Amino acid sequence: MSTPQGNKSMNVLILGANGQLGPHVIKALENDGHTLWLTDINDPPDTPHEYFKLDAGDLDGVIAAAEGMDTIINLSVLRPHRQIAFDVNARGTYNAMAAAVHHGIKRVINTGPHFTIAGPTYENNDHLIGPDVPTQSGTLLYAITKSLGQEVCRIFTENHDIHVLTLLFYNFWFPDDHSADGHDVTPFSVTWQDSAEAFRPALSIDLEELPSKCETFFIFADMPHQKFTNEKAKRILGWQPTNTLAHRWTKM
Amino acid sequence: MNILITSASKRLARHLAAELDAEHDVRLTDREDAPGAQSFTLCDLNHDEATNELVRGIDVVVHFGELDSSLSVSGQLDDAMRCTYNLLWAASEEKIPRLIYLNSLSVMGRHDESYAVTERWKPAPTTETSDLGYHLGEFVCREFARENKIDVISLRLGELVWDHGEASSSALYPEDAVQAVQKALIAEVSDGYAGSSSNWNVFHIQSAVPNARFLTAAAEQGLGYQPSPR
Repeated sequence: MSTPQGNKSMNVLILGANGQLGPHVIKALENDGHTLWLTDINDPPDTPHEYFKLDAGDLDGVIAAAEGMDTIINLSVLRPHRQIAFDVNARGTYNAMAAAVHHGIKRVINTGPHFTIAGPTYENNDHLIGPDVPTQSGTLLYAITKSLGQEVCRIFTENHDIHVLTLLFYNFWFPDDHSADGHDVTPFSVTWQDSAEAFRPALSIDLEELPSKCETFFIFADMPHQKFTNEKAKRILGWQPTNTLAHRWTKM
Repeated sequence: MNILITSASKRLARHLAAELDAEHDVRLTDREDAPGAQSFTLCDLNHDEATNELVRGIDVVVHFGELDSSLSVSGQLDDAMRCTYNLLWAASEEKIPRLIYLNSLSVMGRHDESYAVTERWKPAPTTETSDLGYHLGEFVCREFARENKIDVISLRLGELVWDHGEASSSALYPEDAVQAVQKALIAEVSDGYAGSSSNWNVFHIQSAVPNARFLTAAAEQGLGYQPSPR
């Protein structure tokens, strides 16, 4: 098996590959020489990659799917349903981490919304909020279930030889969507394409270059609001968003 | 006070109920039937009216973070996170003033035994399901307290010593556990640091055994907890 560092080819398991973000991530990664193994609870998309149906909340199923992998990317998410949100967002992340430890996988890329870390107690009050603040998700179902998953990741990295890179997003846009130009935009927005590009350095960065075994990155466009900061993703991952979404935050 | 205690099948829950019963109206609940438990209500702690009904009219909920090891890992984590969330959600909706979360000092267990570990230290649980469950349950409680939806006191309890069993350096005798809960029921602990207020309080609770591993000064000062001399 290849070492999951540098630009070497890897076996990459993607959980939740057929959600909203998955197809963009697959498109960004499939030309880098990796072998992608796609899973989702939904029916398969039209894809040349290996695909099998899997519920991220199924511990045994996730462990079985992770055999032979170099990296796990966790894109699985469920927002509104109380039971399933816990099953997928919290326990599903536990399952990914348990599977990684079981198979000796050294790298997991986790994902979530920005309030996995920075909930309303930050956003209502502060500016220049970065990804290394102590977690304050609040009690919103989506936020706290993802935050519990992230806490599980952190504890696994403290106890095992494993690294977790967490990419946090919020609003996604297509570049040619001009439906609300000039009305300002959530200051944590990014195009689908730029968001997907962040997975490439997250996969290739030498784990020894990371400041710690558990690192979180805010992924959003360069915007003038200064509510949050994406500086860390640019500095450490070398990620550079190409679209500022200026048409949304400048007056018409 | 009207007090609801979860995990009725656990020995400490029964013991607490018996000890508190003289002064309070105590009810017990569990997700499984608990034969012999007093004033018992079976409840799955789902997101439904049954959980709201369970907590309606209660003054303090005493919620166990200890998991049922007979369940699968997934079942235990579901209890720790989702059921705790549902309980707190219902308690918040029903405007229950306080929840006491019975955590374990095992979540501090990875700190070196030579360190003077207090509540100010970062929790350091292992990934063992029981440890993780305690910690994740507390994580849920903290977010409800942070949003001022309910007052939460987390009591991180030492290793319980029953029936003259061997006492570890973090031993907790049942009478001291009861005393800590009794104090937490009525403690005025909302005054925070430097004039602030807080609905979130954590206390380390163990007995005064020789070479006690954890300091209990915060509980002694904040709750009036006085571990019996050993």
